[in-house]
Amino acid sequence: MDSVLGNWPSYDPHNFSQLRTSDPSRSSKMAPATYHSIHNRDVPPADQVINTEHKNILLREIYRRAEEKIDLIALPSPSQLTPKRAASDNLIPEHGSKQPRVST
Amino acid sequence: MFFKSSNITARIFDRQICTPAPGTSVHYARKFYENLVPSYTVYEVECPDHSFRKFTDDGQYLISFSRNLQELIVYRPRWLSFSCKDEDCDNHDLPLKAKRFESFFTQLYCVPLASCNELICKDFFLYMESNKFGLFATSTAQVHDALAVGGAVQGVPSIEKITFHLLRLEDGFVLDEKVFCNDFVNLAHNMGVFLYDDLLAIVSLRYQIIHILQIRDSGNLVHVRAIGEFCREDDELFLNSNAQGMALSDKNKQQQLLGNHIDNNIHQAQPNPGNSFLSGIKQRLLSFMFRGLWNEETDDTLRVQKIRQKFYFHFQDYCDLIIWKVQFLDRHHLLIKFGSVDGGVSRHADTHPAFVAVYNMDTTEIVSFYQNSADELYMLFEQFCDHFYATSRNSMHMNFISSHSNNIHALEQLRSIKDKASSSSQFMKKMLSSLPFSCQSLSPSPYFDQSLFRFDDKLISATDRHKQSTDHPIKFILRRHPYSLRFKIKPGPEAGSMDGRAKKISWFLFHPVLPLALSVQQTLIMQPPLVNISVVNIHFRR
Repeated sequence: MDSVLGNWPSYDPHNFSQLRTSDPSRSSKMAPATYHSIHNRDVPPADQVINTEHKNILLREIYRRAEEKIDLIALPSPSQLTPKRAASDNLIPEHGSKQPRVST
Repeated sequence: MFFKSSNITARIFDRQICTPAPGTSVHYARKFYENLVPSYTVYEVECPDHSFRKFTDDGQYLISFSRNLQELIVYRPRWLSFSCKDEDCDNHDLPLKAKRFESFFTQLYCVPLASCNELICKDFFLYMESNKFGLFATSTAQVHDALAVGGAVQGVPSIEKITFHLLRLEDGFVLDEKVFCNDFVNLAHNMGVFLYDDLLAIVSLRYQIIHILQIRDSGNLVHVRAIGEFCREDDELFLNSNAQGMALSDKNKQQQLLGNHIDNNIHQAQPNPGNSFLSGIKQRLLSFMFRGLWNEETDDTLRVQKIRQKFYFHFQDYCDLIIWKVQFLDRHHLLIKFGSVDGGVSRHADTHPAFVAVYNMDTTEIVSFYQNSADELYMLFEQFCDHFYATSRNSMHMNFISSHSNNIHALEQLRSIKDKASSSSQFMKKMLSSLPFSCQSLSPSPYFDQSLFRFDDKLISATDRHKQSTDHPIKFILRRHPYSLRFKIKPGPEAGSMDGRAKKISWFLFHPVLPLALSVQQTLIMQPPLVNISVVNIHFRR
């Protein structure tokens, strides 16, 4: 068997019988195709700078949990969600200004 | 996967040809400590009667104090050197001079630190590795029933004078001193002081102030800020200027009123900002708690109910909380432990309720606040324990101390204790009572690396606390193949002590780099004459 591996002993002499790396017609097919991305998502932004995060992982986790709690509070609770209604055409009510108190 | 030999020669050859996996070069180098172990013991070394404190974290100095706790003596660790002319040297006994303390340590200098009525605190020592500065503390006697004057907290003892000495360890030159008068700082085992890089946090328990100092390269201790009554540097100025304005307007009102109502005795008290306001840090804490509880509910009636139940009901208890202990998490964040006055100075603080807060020094905001048994805090502790140790980024080997967050064996040990614990909240509380950690309380020696050796941590561990001592040697067993006993450390006399019933404690000083360790065993004899017998052994690789 004439291969790059030479005539080294192997468990089964037929193992590498398919390999023909010295064959020039195969070598071009052996080289894997270079991947060219078809989307532009992995182009980094021009001003991207990668550096070490100054805050250590513990503090990042503490801040993340604190912000999560604030975000949870900002979400309205399910019971309070009412279906949206279109605003009335007459946005200004009949009495658009302050009314004098009705004297008793 | 091919089997890597544990033979030292094979490992040296491997080191020549193999590159360790990325980020594991320290762990790879540490494997050599499986081969080079302090297996030989010199028993009952005759050494000077000093109280040995510890090796510095870079292994350059051995710190000790004189028995009368007035002087500091610093030694340089060195190795034995002698030559043997015979062919078969290994089987020879060591020469007699090898069994002396002076063969292992050279005295560099002896510096008096404490004056006549002061004593050096022998459990206190902090090392600044970058400049080789050492911080020591001396104090006068404690006064227990001190009066609470000048803003002091009632129930905290007072010490007339506490002095922190900053020394250059190369020559023992005293660079700077910082004195606290009629104050109380918990000095035992570095509890009240934390060093991070060049920043020093000193907790004054008596006046409830966290003093932040900076150690400059020149050796000066510079005051940066004092957190407690005031949070920002200009708070005091602002309050004082407003107080003056209020005092003036009140005086005018008083005069007017007296003019109008001569018969009525209306006394207007002078407003004193120091007494009527809560301290700055307390205000931050209470407002954080209030806002947190307020924002948990959106319905107004529920909000008010919650605030009443959880906040106002315990308001006085929250106001009475005091700062117990502080540590740095990084240069801008502090982890502060709050608790009641009783627990601040007592030894058994576990039984008292405690709270932990993360405080940002620059924005003066509290970031989060947990009770001592909170699940969330425990999860952070379990996952990021080594970040709680807050070792400076400059110091490399201090970042490789085994903890349950960076070592699978330590984590398994923790999980097994957790599973055996009867109550999970009690277990969490017990684990979290170690927070905030004391500074430089763990030895960086590779022999305590849990991935290399297995040992009984009731008898020996990386923490520098005294341990119960037995007559049996302490075994260090390999974690990896062939899982065999690698070396033993036996404190005390070779034949065991004469009186098996006497209480014995021992502590160990491991050199951070060399295979060298000191063990000191103290026997406390209860019957007269009340004597402490100390036995010092040296363990090294022969």
